Amino acid sequence: MAQFLSGYAMYTFSSIVVFVALATLLHLQFGLTGIVNFGVVGFFGLGMYSFGVFLIQYNIPYLVAMLLATVLTGVVALGLGKLILDLDSQSILVATLAIATVVEDLVITEKWLTKGVIGLGTVPFPFDLGPFSQAGYFLLALVLTVLLILYAYKLESSPYGRLLLSMQDNEPLARSLGKSTSRQKLIFFSITSGLMGLFGTLHASNIHFMVPRMLGPGVTFTVWIALILGGRKRILGGLVGTLATIGLFDFVIETFVPIPAAQSQLLPVIKLWIYGLGLMLILMYRPSGILGEKKLTNR
Amino acid sequence: MSFFTDSLILGIIEAAPLVLATVGFTLIFYLSGFINVAYAETITLGAYFAIVFNSMLGLNFYLAIIPSALLSGVISVGTYLVVFRPAFKRGVGSTEMIILSVGLSFFIRYSLRLIFGSHLYALDIVSPTSFRIFGIGITNIQLTALILVAVITAGLYLFIYRTNYGEMMRGLANNEDLAMVSGINPVRVSVLIWFIAGVAGGLAGLFYGVFSFVNTLLGWRLILIIIMITIVGGIGNVRGALIASIGAGIITAAVTLITKPLYGEVILLLSFIGILRLKKVRR
Repeated sequence: MAQFLSGYAMYTFSSIVVFVALATLLHLQFGLTGIVNFGVVGFFGLGMYSFGVFLIQYNIPYLVAMLLATVLTGVVALGLGKLILDLDSQSILVATLAIATVVEDLVITEKWLTKGVIGLGTVPFPFDLGPFSQAGYFLLALVLTVLLILYAYKLESSPYGRLLLSMQDNEPLARSLGKSTSRQKLIFFSITSGLMGLFGTLHASNIHFMVPRMLGPGVTFTVWIALILGGRKRILGGLVGTLATIGLFDFVIETFVPIPAAQSQLLPVIKLWIYGLGLMLILMYRPSGILGEKKLTNR
Repeated sequence: MSFFTDSLILGIIEAAPLVLATVGFTLIFYLSGFINVAYAETITLGAYFAIVFNSMLGLNFYLAIIPSALLSGVISVGTYLVVFRPAFKRGVGSTEMIILSVGLSFFIRYSLRLIFGSHLYALDIVSPTSFRIFGIGITNIQLTALILVAVITAGLYLFIYRTNYGEMMRGLANNEDLAMVSGINPVRVSVLIWFIAGVAGGLAGLFYGVFSFVNTLLGWRLILIIIMITIVGGIGNVRGALIASIGAGIITAAVTLITKPLYGEVILLLSFIGILRLKKVRR
């Protein structure tokens, strides 16, 4: 029992849960509100690394460090959002991508804080439950992700959710109806980006040891393909897409398909190659993803 | 004073390939109206073609430049005809086009990884001789790159602002329907522009390959800066792109002289975000 609850399978499940959360948050930003956030890994990585620095370099208690890292990520997103959110989507896309690169660069250069390329560790599991520590961590990540999805459902049937949706469809119209669109967009962006940071802190516990290489563009790309594949307009799009990408490659294929050791190094390369091809095919032939467009209901 | 001249000269040398890549990128951005992230791979491919012709097949470096540049142009046209033109016809929106180009970028990059592996490659160049200009060491290859870049950029500039095809391109970018009514064949002009842009990108990659090792991330590391320069310099404005890329080279060189190279990138990116903001305010 304890053997099943720890080890590689548990690690993979936890990663999948974290990425489902990231893809759901991206759905809220891009699918719902229309913010083209191409710097997912920046917020995720900022949360992850600042949490590690608080916890290891400053010995701040686990949950407090988590909270501080989340707030810090949210504040950075607030500052960035204030600068760029009312620009056109191409500018937003490049600016968020730029911030992610800046985060990666600073993690490499600020060795006194992050230990640079040597890596920062080790981050323990949040609760010391003996052999069930990893299971306890997994449960925490799972509960937070489920809560996030439930919140998304509640949000999208609320007046506030409709306001956010209206900004994507026709922002000047929403503004003319007396809604303070830029303010709402800014607050929503900084909260959802802060939450990306929160899931970054959770991921730190799963990997235990962080190196700057993890902050490369692969994370952002994986989250984007998951959401687009699943269906960007659908709340469960992130879940479905993550299962069909990371779930398929990192769990099903790694566990059940016998791959000779010589070829196993090629798997991550082939994975990203197929992701790239897949992304192109979806956008050309089924832009609404697996789940398709949301059915319009009479309210 | 010497700090000023040092960063000026180093900046111009460093910016030389960047200018080429940015002008190529700007052409596509201007004509087709979207950020083509896959242009990163056109740059990478230029370097890899040079590796194949020069290091693997043993062709002289200067001779290897020609087929490498032409093949990069052909691949660029290929991506237009196979991926982007059909996507335009299917009505893919401009944000989705960018995501599509990111997909293509990953597809090409990891194709290269599958073919060439993750090794670092180096071009096979006869040991460069270096001499000093204003107290700064410069190699003859760097000087060749600089001269070639100047010549090609001047040629492109004349092409865009002084020739028939340049005029057709500008017409097509501004108002496609009007251009077609005036008898401009949009496919022919587009193919030509994507080819020229591809050649410029391939050459840029090749010259980067002269100064550093080549791996599959070469273009990806540059593309963000190139996109930023293009937007800051004014979309489709070749003069703006030229000035902005030389400026970027000088800023990077200046910061690198004082501290670490990565800080150069950080400061460059942050100031670009600031400029984006300022441009919006002024509009």
